[in-house]
Amino acid sequence: MQLPEFEYLRPKSLEEGLAFLAEHGEDAKIMLGGSDLLINMKFRLDTPKYLVSFNALPELQAVTELPDGGLRIGAGCKLTQLADSELLKSRYPALHAAALSVGSKHVRNAATLGGNLCLDTRCWYTNQSENWRESRDGCFKTDNQLCHVIQSASKCHALNSSDTAPVLMVMDATVSLVSQAGERQVRMLEFYNDDGVEHTVLKPGEMLVSVTLPPPTGRAVYAKLAQRNGLDFASGTFAASIAGSNEKPTAVCLVMGSVGPEPRLLDSSAQLILASGLNDETIETAALAARASLGEITNLFSPSGYKRRLVKALIKDALLELRDQPI
Amino acid sequence: MAKQLITLTVNGDEHEVAVQPYQTLLEVLRDELDLIGTKRGCTAGSCGVCTVNGEEGEAVLSCCALAVEWDGRTLTTVEGVQEGTELHPIQQKFLEHGAVQCGFCTPGLIMSAKALLDVNTSPTETDINEAMAGAICRCTGHIKVKIAIREAAKVLRERDSAAGVNHGAA
Repeated sequence: MQLPEFEYLRPKSLEEGLAFLAEHGEDAKIMLGGSDLLINMKFRLDTPKYLVSFNALPELQAVTELPDGGLRIGAGCKLTQLADSELLKSRYPALHAAALSVGSKHVRNAATLGGNLCLDTRCWYTNQSENWRESRDGCFKTDNQLCHVIQSASKCHALNSSDTAPVLMVMDATVSLVSQAGERQVRMLEFYNDDGVEHTVLKPGEMLVSVTLPPPTGRAVYAKLAQRNGLDFASGTFAASIAGSNEKPTAVCLVMGSVGPEPRLLDSSAQLILASGLNDETIETAALAARASLGEITNLFSPSGYKRRLVKALIKDALLELRDQPI
Repeated sequence: MAKQLITLTVNGDEHEVAVQPYQTLLEVLRDELDLIGTKRGCTAGSCGVCTVNGEEGEAVLSCCALAVEWDGRTLTTVEGVQEGTELHPIQQKFLEHGAVQCGFCTPGLIMSAKALLDVNTSPTETDINEAMAGAICRCTGHIKVKIAIREAAKVLRERDSAAGVNHGAA
């Protein structure tokens, strides 16, 4: 496969880059690692007129320790840098595990944290070559008002496939979005929309430039199930955070990824654990409740029946691991 | 769009080449520089046959890299792995241990293994699996490939010892 033609812009400053984005709007796409964008371009899912590479800006790769004990990670930080980071491994092990689970080492050498958070949604139907798609009707993502996966759908159900998103959500991280108009902070819990097409709150001309992690209090866990140990997008991911003891937690957050257009907050399961503690019984119940609360599960990449069983097993194993983590 | 003149240092040789921004590093290496050792496979970052080594010796998927982003930079392809007229230990062990069948993925496997062994001559099974997960082989089932990597690691460890250098576990 070859890339389509495009014009290449390589701004020397963030201001210059944001000006390009403001000027060209929908005709421009942001490139950092390019490990998602370039492939989607080869599939002709994206055909921007302008590719704006932000790779001349070392400030986007900075990792800064914050006075409150938190960490700010630049959107341009390679996932390999995060996977190799002893600091991340010791202070934010769940995020470290998530970064390490993405793709392969080859992919992680190019891929960035910002890119992983803004990963386009995926669907077995649309993530196919142009040739394949042209022999069939389009869909919400391309040029038609229908979904091939859920026939009765009124919107796109392509899956959010970011491995780092669920962890950053349960950690209550924030992202910094900048445009020519200014800067705003958005909680990761509010960054995604339940729509396979407009799947983030990024406005035209806006770019995610950094992720801010709060100080590492409490415990967190991350789990990913995929067909192979490497290379594959997840069949399902799960992240959980807990503050306080197993007997009397003070905060609990559970997020399931790769099962819908946005990572799914498992509220009722979290409430259960908050109320009754983290033990064998609540873990079993929470896992079952999660399976029920997921609602419409598509048969994307795996049969929906398998996914429902997967959800329960993944959550149960991960919560058991979380329970056994030292405080 | 007009072509851009870029400079690439490949296997120690500097090349000046006019490229379009939409040409990948893989295409430029093969089609402009005639370095056809690096292969075109899935061209979607999922197979690793296009693997080259970047400035830090890291594994780079050249099919998913824009040549223009490599202007002024250094990389190594499989053509640059041999040591003078001698094979590199990785190449030697691949041959000795039957890790080459059709040979199509071999450059990608070698560059991926080299990216590992250049920084770690005492890799654990996990290290090897992690380094090689991105480079797949349809013929060998990977078993002989891993044996060859372990054997090459031994040779490189011995070399390190002799030189008083330690490329220990990362």
